[in-house]
Amino acid sequence: MRSILLLLGKDLRLLARSPVQIVALIAYPVVVAALVALALQGGGEQPAVAVVNLDDPGRTVSVGGERFSVDDYVARLDEEVDVIELGPDEAQDALEAGRVSAILTIPDGFIGNLQSGFTPPTLELETSRRDPIESEEIARRLEAAVFRFNQALAADYVTQVLQLVDLVIDGGTIGVFGRTGVALGLDSTRDIILGVQEALRAQGDDQLADELDPLLLFVDQTEGNLGLARPAATALASPIELSIQESDDGREPLSALGVAAALLVSLGLAGVLLAAAGIAGEREEHVLSRLRRGLVSPMSITTEKIVFATAATLVIGLALLAVVAGASSLAVGRWGLWVTALLVTGLGFASFGALIGAAARETRSALLAALMLTLPLLFIGLIPGDIAGGIAAAVPFGPALSAFQSLLAEPTVPASFAVDLAHAAGLAVAFAAAATLVLWRRPQ
Amino acid sequence: MAPVRFGANAAPADPGPLRADEMTGDGPLLRASGLGRRFRRLRALGGVDLELGSGEALALLGPNGAGKTTLLSILAGLAEGYEGQLEWRADVDRIGWVPQRPALYGRLSTRENLELFAKLERRDEPDAVAAELIERADLTEFANRRAATLSTGTLARLNMCVALAGAPRVLLLDEPTATLSPDQRRRIWSWLGALQEEDGLALVFSTQLVGEAVAEADRLLVLAGGAPVFSGTGDDLTARADDAAGPLAAEQAFLDLVDAE
Repeated sequence: MRSILLLLGKDLRLLARSPVQIVALIAYPVVVAALVALALQGGGEQPAVAVVNLDDPGRTVSVGGERFSVDDYVARLDEEVDVIELGPDEAQDALEAGRVSAILTIPDGFIGNLQSGFTPPTLELETSRRDPIESEEIARRLEAAVFRFNQALAADYVTQVLQLVDLVIDGGTIGVFGRTGVALGLDSTRDIILGVQEALRAQGDDQLADELDPLLLFVDQTEGNLGLARPAATALASPIELSIQESDDGREPLSALGVAAALLVSLGLAGVLLAAAGIAGEREEHVLSRLRRGLVSPMSITTEKIVFATAATLVIGLALLAVVAGASSLAVGRWGLWVTALLVTGLGFASFGALIGAAARETRSALLAALMLTLPLLFIGLIPGDIAGGIAAAVPFGPALSAFQSLLAEPTVPASFAVDLAHAAGLAVAFAAAATLVLWRRPQ
Repeated sequence: MAPVRFGANAAPADPGPLRADEMTGDGPLLRASGLGRRFRRLRALGGVDLELGSGEALALLGPNGAGKTTLLSILAGLAEGYEGQLEWRADVDRIGWVPQRPALYGRLSTRENLELFAKLERRDEPDAVAAELIERADLTEFANRRAATLSTGTLARLNMCVALAGAPRVLLLDEPTATLSPDQRRRIWSWLGALQEEDGLALVFSTQLVGEAVAEADRLLVLAGGAPVFSGTGDDLTARADDAAGPLAAEQAFLDLVDAE
């Protein structure tokens, strides 16, 4: 422990006397984080989506007294994505060439199913494999568009149902769900019954007229009950309404995924590079052979470099989060859990870097190897899917991204957060042990 | 008697203890027999027997690849899996190691390097240890200069001072003057000679310079092809020369030995 503290003091002293190194250590991850966050925000541009309409474009339907066509539906989608209307083959070519990020197909019979109300109409979405992150974004945007359209349709369907209620009460001619008809109506029924009773009483047949009173009662009760249908149906059409007011505090909206990815890339690079350069630096100074002769064990050397790099990632991570909390709309909070997450994932990054540094002959090759290994693994960690997820899970980047996302996106911390940290800690121990072994086997 | 320990991770593999009465009191600091090492199929060293007395200087002389550094690595406790028996006297608790390339922190100053290694060696008053070494090695004007900015000769002295920070009884030096000019070499040997005389420090050094070995060592061990081919004093080596005299005699004898091997 004493030797670890002495080496730690030496490294901190060397760091403190190099302002350029300190600036680089802070500025580099901040710049990387900003670039990654901006890239994942997509600059506010809407993704291009090819819309293939296999239904009759001219056909319109009436729902709740409002006429819809496929073109109207496409126009609503255009609010969420940049719609490009193409034929099936053209759309496929555009997807393969990367001109569009997804194809949305409106199948034949879509409008008919919408009007009949018997079979829910279905839209088909094919996304590109080129950019899984953008594909996820498109799916989310289209889900939002379909949800809003469903809400509008539900309101229209309720309007139709209420028109039917009015028909039952008032009577008359109405067309609903594509059908037309004539109904007598409860009011007319009451008038007819009252007229019959009046005629019977004029003929002196009061008993028979009184026997019609239950019919009048039925009509009144039915009318009263149907009167309750209006507020109930209205509530059914929109059980919860969301009132959205945009904040005017001028802060940039950032997605949880963007921030998590930015943290992962910047902290991952910083942790791995610092630990790799730290151990390789000891070898480059030729001091390993001297230290190993009873002064400092390989395990202590590895531990010191991992602690140093972890402490640096913790400081950088907290600084980045403070910037996010102050300059963006994303709620950070849960600082205690963040410190834990940054410490554990930092240990993982640093241990991975320590292994690279222990295997390298000198600092430059250690940094090169660290970059060549870390960059692809970091970006694989950002790609959803079983294979990419499996690769990312073998290094600390997979569990780290998952843990960061849990803290940024989940309203309550899920159980998977603890699993992710345990996973990262396990990998840290494994990589640290491997680094120690390599250092022990190659003392000079 | 237990063998000297270089540290938890660097204890000799199987020293095969010699009789304790041979290694106590005024006996040799070091006694080794049959030392050797293989790198897979390649035999880098074999059949080395040697002794080292207190305050004695032993030169390991030989061409490139002769096994000098391998032998020093075994003595320094840096080699895993060597052959033979190696025993240090019980009172040899620290052995200083001076690798050929300076092993210190270039961005720390002379004083900071010495203080750090004195602390790592668990010396009492590391500041005083550093100050004394700086004074004895005539490094005062370089005390606050970063090691990376020092000249080759000054850096060589600092490299040795770092090894001395643990107050060793024996100093192992791997070609300590290989990169130095003659005047720097003379200065280094003058200082090492003073350490031998004043502190009873024993030296084991490797060199390719026959003249330096003859001049500075009490005894020479000539290695060629990983095997010892001569052991004796400088005079013994010089006497082997058949057709040379004066300063060239030892060099000629050395070349004859190496060529014969």
